Amino acid sequence: MAERAEGRGAARRAARSLDAWADRLHLPTLAVAGLAVGVWALLSWRYGAYVLPSPLAVVRGLGEILSTGEVWTHTGASLARILVGFGGAVALAILTGLAAFVSPRARAVVHDVLAVLNATSVFVWIVLSIVWFGLSHWAPIFTTLMLTLPVVASNIVEGVESVDRRLLEMGDVYRLGGREKFRAIVIPSTVPYLVAGMKVGFGLALKVSVVAEIFGVTSGIGYIMNYSREILATQMVFVWALVMVLVMMLTDKLVFDAVARRLSRWR
Amino acid sequence: MAVKLRVSGIGKDYLIPVIETVSFGVEAGEFVCLLGPNGCGKTTLLRIIGGIEPATRGAVLLDEQPVVAGDAPSRKVGVVFQEDRLLPWMTLEQNVALVLKPLGLGADARREVARRHLALAGLGGFEHYYPGRVSGGMRQRTAIARALAIEPDVLLMDEPFGALDAQNRRIMQTEVRRIWKETGRTILFVTHSIEEAVAIGTTLVMLSARPSRIRELIRNDGRVARGQLIDDLNTMIMEEVERQQGGAAVTPRAKERE
Repeated sequence: MAERAEGRGAARRAARSLDAWADRLHLPTLAVAGLAVGVWALLSWRYGAYVLPSPLAVVRGLGEILSTGEVWTHTGASLARILVGFGGAVALAILTGLAAFVSPRARAVVHDVLAVLNATSVFVWIVLSIVWFGLSHWAPIFTTLMLTLPVVASNIVEGVESVDRRLLEMGDVYRLGGREKFRAIVIPSTVPYLVAGMKVGFGLALKVSVVAEIFGVTSGIGYIMNYSREILATQMVFVWALVMVLVMMLTDKLVFDAVARRLSRWR
Repeated sequence: MAVKLRVSGIGKDYLIPVIETVSFGVEAGEFVCLLGPNGCGKTTLLRIIGGIEPATRGAVLLDEQPVVAGDAPSRKVGVVFQEDRLLPWMTLEQNVALVLKPLGLGADARREVARRHLALAGLGGFEHYYPGRVSGGMRQRTAIARALAIEPDVLLMDEPFGALDAQNRRIMQTEVRRIWKETGRTILFVTHSIEEAVAIGTTLVMLSARPSRIRELIRNDGRVARGQLIDDLNTMIMEEVERQQGGAAVTPRAKERE
């Protein structure tokens, strides 16, 4: 009887380690995805390729833009605009954080301005940027900047406010100069907030710049998606949506998670 | 011996007077423990002496030079706080080396001095650990090493072992006593534990209840037996605590006023 119980125990352990492996490979997620693709194929067959292209057509489309290199042209164009707009937002946000650190009055102003910016819709900036910059690169760049600025800046200001006053006092006691306190205490306390803000901000930048690209530019993921819709190539809309998702997930994993891990070495 | 540190007529008011007036002198190489009931302004007094906070009245003189809050004096004061106040993103060695920068030492000299003082505090071999990876006692040792590394004229310690468990506390008391003997530094040590003060201090300063003045200044030179001293101090502190809580009738001074 003891033997049988042991055998059962081993079987249970084996089952549990199988479960663990299944979880690690995201098998449950893949199962759900498989089911979704099945339903998608059925619906596509029922309603036709214009409304819902088949999964196979989407895969074929993806292969096509990969082999022609078109995928790099448009992804590159979008990313370049994001880099300028989002980069500008990060730079401005850092200046904002500095101001908030130096002066409590500036901090109050920053809080109010960020509250207003946070409450402003994407569409306001898209329309205004077209009015101000015409149909050019600068429209998506400006929109991206204005939308990601409050996200990144709020995070930096929060980081600046969270600097431990007791550590600064320690710096005073040991006569550390202002620059030394800034380098040794303020920056290391704030950088994790900056990285967290940039992670959220970049995701937002990718989503927003693509919307702004619908108007007036002739490259970028947003442009090509809208163009594909106009020429009734619905499968390409799906393909580019897939590209966007992949870009987002890859930058998250490869850039931001890696940076965050490196920053928290000492934890 | 020469008077190293002179506290003369120091007083501090916040909304109410916290420290009425406190004066005493500390000779070079003395180990002074500041005692008193909770809330009597021990920490405030220490912060004033360290030039972290301004006093309302009076002056603190270190080698006959005034210590002024917010100034950058040539005198060196090392402070060990209640919390370790280490930078968690720097290794123990980097934490100690950091405070040597204002002294104008080069990078190699800083590292060497930091290592020497970490070793003195019993942390040899842990130089490259981050504070989060070592125990609370080791973090507080690092804070002591940091304070000693600048070779301070006076070392101020504000209940440095308050956050440690009883066992670590006892170990650290012995350690501080040993470091004091090895380095001959002048130490001012705030504590609310009478046993701790009697075990490590050469001079005990008992403050009264708020607004505080000096209730008793005792040389702990072995002329009074430790047990007796602890009993006496316990009696005093209980009287002060009662006075602070409004049980004024039992204190001698209140009786005099009647």
